[in-house]
Amino acid sequence: MMSINPFSVLAETISPAAIQFFVLAMIALIIIGTIIQMIHHKNVTYFFNNAKKAKLSADRELGAAEKTSVILKTVVHDIATTAELGAGKRRVAHVLGMYGTILFWVASVVMVFCYTGKEIMTPTIWPMIWHIGAIMTCVGGYWFWLFLRVDVLAEAHPWYRIIKADLFVLALLACATTGLAWSYFQSSNSMGLSYLFLILFITSNIVLFGGVYWSKFAHMFYKPGAAIQKNLAEADGSRDNLPPLADAPKQFGLGIKREQPKHY
Amino acid sequence: MSTFVYMTRCDGCGHCVDICPSDIMHIDENIRRAVNIEPNFCWECYSCVKACPNHAIDVRGYADFAPMGHSVRVRREEEKGTISWKIKFRNGTTKDFVSPITTKPWGKFIPKLAEVDKPNQGEINSQRLYTEPKGLNIDGDLPSVPKDSFKKGVYY
Amino acid sequence: MAKHKTHFEDCDVLVVGGGMAGTGATFEARHWGRDMKIICVEKANIDRSGAVAQGLYAINCYMGMQWGENQPEDHVRYARNDLMGMVREDLGYDMARHVDSTVHMFDEWGLPMMKNEKTGRYLREGKWQIMIHGESYKPIVAEAAKKSADKIYNRIMITHLLMDETQQNRVGGAVGFNMRTGDFHVFRSKTVIVAAGGASHIFKPRAVGEGMGRTWYAPWSNGSAYALPIAAGAKMTQMENRIVLCRFKDGYGPVGAYFLHLKTYTQNANGENYEKKWYDQTKELVGEYIDHHPTPTCLRNHAFIQETMAGGGPIHMVTTEAFQDPHLETVGWENFLGMTVGQAVVWASQNIDPKYTNPELTTSEPYVMGSHATCSGAWVSGPEDLSPPEYFWGYNRMLTIDGLFGAGDTVGGSAHKFSSGSFTEGRLAAKAAVKYIEDKKAEGIKVSDKQCEDFKATVYKPLENYTVGQNEITGGTVSPSYISPIQGLQRLQRIMDEYVGGIATNYMTNGNMLKRGLELLAWLEEDLENVGAKDYHELMRAWELKHRALTSQCVTEHTMFREETRWPGYYYRGDHMKLDDDNWHCLTVSRRDPKTGKFSLEKVPVYHIVDENEKKKAS
Repeated sequence: MMSINPFSVLAETISPAAIQFFVLAMIALIIIGTIIQMIHHKNVTYFFNNAKKAKLSADRELGAAEKTSVILKTVVHDIATTAELGAGKRRVAHVLGMYGTILFWVASVVMVFCYTGKEIMTPTIWPMIWHIGAIMTCVGGYWFWLFLRVDVLAEAHPWYRIIKADLFVLALLACATTGLAWSYFQSSNSMGLSYLFLILFITSNIVLFGGVYWSKFAHMFYKPGAAIQKNLAEADGSRDNLPPLADAPKQFGLGIKREQPKHY
Repeated sequence: MSTFVYMTRCDGCGHCVDICPSDIMHIDENIRRAVNIEPNFCWECYSCVKACPNHAIDVRGYADFAPMGHSVRVRREEEKGTISWKIKFRNGTTKDFVSPITTKPWGKFIPKLAEVDKPNQGEINSQRLYTEPKGLNIDGDLPSVPKDSFKKGVYY
Repeated sequence: MAKHKTHFEDCDVLVVGGGMAGTGATFEARHWGRDMKIICVEKANIDRSGAVAQGLYAINCYMGMQWGENQPEDHVRYARNDLMGMVREDLGYDMARHVDSTVHMFDEWGLPMMKNEKTGRYLREGKWQIMIHGESYKPIVAEAAKKSADKIYNRIMITHLLMDETQQNRVGGAVGFNMRTGDFHVFRSKTVIVAAGGASHIFKPRAVGEGMGRTWYAPWSNGSAYALPIAAGAKMTQMENRIVLCRFKDGYGPVGAYFLHLKTYTQNANGENYEKKWYDQTKELVGEYIDHHPTPTCLRNHAFIQETMAGGGPIHMVTTEAFQDPHLETVGWENFLGMTVGQAVVWASQNIDPKYTNPELTTSEPYVMGSHATCSGAWVSGPEDLSPPEYFWGYNRMLTIDGLFGAGDTVGGSAHKFSSGSFTEGRLAAKAAVKYIEDKKAEGIKVSDKQCEDFKATVYKPLENYTVGQNEITGGTVSPSYISPIQGLQRLQRIMDEYVGGIATNYMTNGNMLKRGLELLAWLEEDLENVGAKDYHELMRAWELKHRALTSQCVTEHTMFREETRWPGYYYRGDHMKLDDDNWHCLTVSRRDPKTGKFSLEKVPVYHIVDENEKKKAS
């Protein structure tokens, strides 16, 4: 299953153009959803107002080279390794899910646009990436969903409680899971189940990308912006009004911060 | 007063939920981030502010009597044993303070009483507590008052 | 209604509350009961729970016997004087002779204590107080408790004590619910040490919006220290002795370091030292007590209140002189940051820099607790070697219910113990509890499943009230069939404020007002059967309210009983506007009958075990 491009098999029944149109439609949904959210929430206005205010309490002006360096460091460290989540399971789960989804989406686009024509052979690397991406998304996502969600871990809500905040992660998991199931049943020729999971896969994608306005989807764009702003504020001394790091050696170990936030 | 949580900084880790003595820091259902659900039961104790790994929580003085535009922010660094404060007045004046929060590695010099020497036979009947009388650093034993000095009613 | 799981736990020492007293009890219990099962149950998270959540800047109770600074009898004279004679001197002496060893342990554990550079001793703020950098005071003592306990339960609110069904008047444990999981917890225990919180929010606070949160004493101190023993039928003492504090306006920030270390002073709006003006009037009220040194806390309040009523306000503290010294300025600010951050927030918001502005003071709404310049609480036995026969019945800090012990704000009569003294009292109670078990006094305790089941139904009833009651209305907060916890709380606060000597009447009350207050409290008690809670957090608020309401009834009964004005500045009996040593130089003790709900009160003699003039030579 892992080396078969499920889209090219599908292209035998549905025209490649239709599949490609669907992908483009999903991309359009992301853009539209995010833009409408930004307009309604005026979050860009807030963001730039805040940056202007912060500049007033800056100790120093940052040069272009310095700014670039901070931004690059932020991208490579904070964003690429989800540093904000600190050391621990949540970060591992997020990194797994994040790269899994990236691989899954990239491989989807590549396979749909480059390898769905008749008689075009898909190099095995791409279906491998697609399936591995989906599996990584499932591992990170289900781990998060069942055990690591803060409302489950710190507030003792049952794992099956669904709230609006779960829209993104559940839709994403649905896509990855149904995608894998579709690929499996299609490659083993169980046509009924294959179609079932294909329809579910299509639906999950529509929910995921159509729900951008209501879900936490767009946070994947906002958070990197916030991380860059935070590191620039740290560099120019404004630091969001926080005091600077203390000038003292790290000699006492961890106290109450050594434990997980689960004391009940 | 009350605590509030910055949208751009909170990532829903739950440390504030776990530590709040008033049980008012909880997770919002729409965005899975922390929120103060009962500001009128917030003591401004700063436990959540100090516990947040991302400095995502801040305080806005009680709306009843605190004009806007102020800021009192903190950085509690356990490994360094320090707590740093930055106070910003409404008129822009700032004050910075740094204090120690421990003199020893956390917990290292707190004994596990199950493992220290057991009290002597009969010590349970004395008035002495653990480490006493040595722990009082005085000559002699625990102070006491002779019972015949007890007087009832108005004395002085 | 959803089924709630029940968890049973059997233990030897159950400590209810993980604050200063609870951590002291849990810690010390292990030393004496090596093989015993020691459990501590805390409503919040023991690392930051209780009144010391944000830290403290001073330890207000340290003798310094090692340097001849104070002896325990000095503490007794001081506490007795401050409370106008009404303290349990045996309890005070007992706490004072041990507190130094507690403080020395804190030092060893890592609590930063400021040192006097010249003498190398702990830096004194005043005669009784030493200065600390205590932001992490609570996490440090919590760690000590964790190392001793078999288990610390967090986020469980204990709602009721269990009674033994084989022997009259013997405790059997406690029950409560977990506000995260919603589960019911039954702790069957040979001894119970109540080390819960005193009572804030029973009188209407000055700020009623968001500012309600800025109480002087923690808002999560809901009087469980009193309600648990009262409901079980234990005797209580001095519940009329509520405390009013003179603190910085709005933020209620502490003034101790300012007066003692910075040597600031107060003045009225015309720049006068107003306290002297009220000397004669106060002397009329209380006689020679006004001539004692230091002036009792309540009498200083009294002058403040009179001056304000006479139009001399607002009253300020003169800080502009002291704050010119940069060291004192640092102390002045850090005093808040390590103890009451909210005051720094208030000043920052109002551009108050004490270097240039003299900040305003105010008197707070009343609080009921037992560890400060006040000593409301349970009536307990003292130690064998110090207590007169009326004050001793077998085990130190045991209440009038066998096997039930108290420490900290729970215990009445032992004033001025503060944080270190409360921890110390916990240690004393723990040792006595272990002795009680070793003396085989806790044999054969039986707690039936029925007793637990009955409590379980009671505990979860507010959830039921809400769910069922929701069917009647379309939505919103107004229902004819149930009240929310905040609605009940605001009603309670108004009753106490208007009838039992709150700020509405400038702390004035009288027999008629108290009678009306009791009537209204009785109706509130009935209506509390219909408090509704929508989730476990609100359920906790509902039980906090119930504990507050029961405490308030006791406070009102005591206030009614003492027919004199013993502590002007804390409260006044308009119908008995004088201190009456002939008839009332005694303690008040009450007991509520668990079956009928009726209170009965009696006078109990005050024993003075320490002479006034005699001073023991420094050792």
